[in-house]
Amino acid sequence: MGMGRGLKGLMKKGHGDMADFSIILFLCNWGPHAAFQALQDSATQIPPEIKMVRIPCSGRISKALLFKPFEMGADGVAMVGCETGTCRYATGSSTAQKNVEHTRAILHLLGLGEDRLRLKTFMPEDSEPLLQFLRGFCDEIKAIGKSPVVPSPEAEPPSQALELTKEVVAAHDIYACQDCGKCSSACSLTLVGKPFSPRAIASNIISGNIDSADVEKDIWSCLACGLCYDRCPSAVNFPEFIKDMRYILKKDGSRGYLAHGGFFQSLMRTMTPKDLKVNHWDWLPDDIQVDPQSKTLFFGGCAPYFDIFFKGFLGVQTSDILVDSLKLLNFFDIFPLLLEDERCCGHDLLWSGDKENFLKLARLNVDAIHRLGVEELITACPECYRAYTHDYPQQGVKVNFKVTHIFDLLEGEISKGAVGFKPFDRRLTFQDPCRLSRLENRPELPRRLISRLKPIEFNEMQDRGGGAICCGNSAWTGCDSYSKALQVKRIRQAHSTGSDLLVTACPKCQIHLQCAMEDPFLGEELNMDMMDLTSVLAKTINWE
Amino acid sequence: MNAYEEPKTMTRVKEQPPRQEITITGFGGQGIVLAGRILGKAAVLGDHKQSTLVQSYGPEARGGACSAQVIISEGPIHYPYVRHPDILVSMSQTGFDKFIDQLKEGGTLLIDQDLVQPQSIEGDFFSIPSTRIAEELGRKMMANIIMLGFFTAITGAVSVKAARDSVVSSVPKGTEEMNSKAFNKGYDYAVALLKGREKKAKGRAGA
Repeated sequence: MGMGRGLKGLMKKGHGDMADFSIILFLCNWGPHAAFQALQDSATQIPPEIKMVRIPCSGRISKALLFKPFEMGADGVAMVGCETGTCRYATGSSTAQKNVEHTRAILHLLGLGEDRLRLKTFMPEDSEPLLQFLRGFCDEIKAIGKSPVVPSPEAEPPSQALELTKEVVAAHDIYACQDCGKCSSACSLTLVGKPFSPRAIASNIISGNIDSADVEKDIWSCLACGLCYDRCPSAVNFPEFIKDMRYILKKDGSRGYLAHGGFFQSLMRTMTPKDLKVNHWDWLPDDIQVDPQSKTLFFGGCAPYFDIFFKGFLGVQTSDILVDSLKLLNFFDIFPLLLEDERCCGHDLLWSGDKENFLKLARLNVDAIHRLGVEELITACPECYRAYTHDYPQQGVKVNFKVTHIFDLLEGEISKGAVGFKPFDRRLTFQDPCRLSRLENRPELPRRLISRLKPIEFNEMQDRGGGAICCGNSAWTGCDSYSKALQVKRIRQAHSTGSDLLVTACPKCQIHLQCAMEDPFLGEELNMDMMDLTSVLAKTINWE
Repeated sequence: MNAYEEPKTMTRVKEQPPRQEITITGFGGQGIVLAGRILGKAAVLGDHKQSTLVQSYGPEARGGACSAQVIISEGPIHYPYVRHPDILVSMSQTGFDKFIDQLKEGGTLLIDQDLVQPQSIEGDFFSIPSTRIAEELGRKMMANIIMLGFFTAITGAVSVKAARDSVVSSVPKGTEEMNSKAFNKGYDYAVALLKGREKKAKGRAGA
């Protein structure tokens, strides 16, 4: 994160004749830096738009760091490392290749364009080729034009954290907490052994202790799953309280315990410029039928980005959820409209304290949908569903169309009759998505659909429905060894049902549980196939 | 009452012949005669055609085979009995056995799939588990209304609006909404069935 602050200094506008363009050059210390230094020593004119960041190895520049300059308004990023085989640390160059390839794919989806990011390797004596590359890249970026991304203002308002906290405590009536401990006895995190207690957070904050590092960490660790709220005899709405506290902490300069180097928050913030032309759907298979005139919109969500980001690691294919949802709609002769420049719904920004950018995304999405005259929005993502039905109106973004979860639509269509399911040769169990099963309190909805399937058998896990164990994380924050412990516990529960297929209903459940299955020690024991419910339905649905 | 939305794809828009003869059969008590009456009313009051109803009851009212014979015509009807129906609706096995031989060649057969085993017949027919759906809705006695919805969508012999209005004005007060829902269930089932057949014919049975 120190990198972010350093970049800010680099990307300030220069004086007078300095160009407006900002190009960040990540330059490996070992091979190409010598070439760069030779240019400097001979006082060669390096394009002034290029801001060099000297790095120990190109392999250490994660996707989050590669992406960060774009969030901050950079027009281009060049990663310059060593040729494969000459890497000081053996695997750095190949890691850098993958990171750049994936980040370029994400830049394409995002609409910034993959050509804004380039990887090139040079030997120490290659100073002339390096110069040619830098000049050429600079010209290419100028030909592409300025990035539409405008970085958030640097100056933060002076902190009023203490006053704001008092307001939030009063608004959610945290004083009603009787310190009875029912929350801790239910909390998934406490139960896997994390020294974490909702009531302790409440009492610490009430006594004005918000500067303590432990309290800050706890606020970012909370899964916001709402199980404590469910059990609280005084009905203290702890998740909403945590949401507002994160907002205050963020304003107060807390960087949050963001997972994946804050990549996803960066990505969401980068989607806020109005002029950005996102390519959300251009990867869609040709056999999916859509209708630009339709008044029914299918809102996909961020799965395509997740798949690229996790490609090298988890190999998850969550965009199947989108494809299979569309196939199911087509099955029922529903040919929906797609929002070409669909942006993230902002759910995770709201839950990681960035209300301003959440609102920007919400308005951009809702305005675009209103302009198309959409009457009904269908989504398969429980978080998008929650955001549209709950968070948008609550945060003052009015929604003039009906919002339907695809499970509701399918249940309605299937119950009309003449539709059956082919036998499915698996034993199933089901992982509840917290946004649908607990926060929306609709655990029966996916189960009605599951009961129509024809698997060998379906068995529930010990903890299920509203009381199900979380997949380990929410809003890409607070991932630690306890998250892993939670996932391991959950997958063991799934195994103990005797099932061989874990059915999920949220892309993140799949990503997080898959992560635990990648564990070098437990992986083999935990490994279990997973499939989203929409995919199971699409695979087996049949006209009778 | 909730406004019922017409399905976005009308599956069957076909030219109706100027005169159609329909026999509805079932057990006494299933509401066969009422179904015939609703059908005739729909044709006359809603679609402004002419219609006759001949109902056969007697021992049938105690649970035997019973039937209603309906004729819908654009011109005058001189003889109200149906000898060779264009459409046969069967909600019981005995009714089916008794009337199946009368069905015109190329005529349309509609059955309750749980109550009728159509044996020794050639050609296509349409089936719906109307009694089961009625049970799921909470009232077994609404199977006839479900069958009417099914009939309307499959045959097009009466218009949807006329049939639904006729259902609502013919059932006991206080049950209009429930019966309207039952009608829609049958109608939707037929639309789904026709859509499924169309897709199957194109070789696309799955998603």
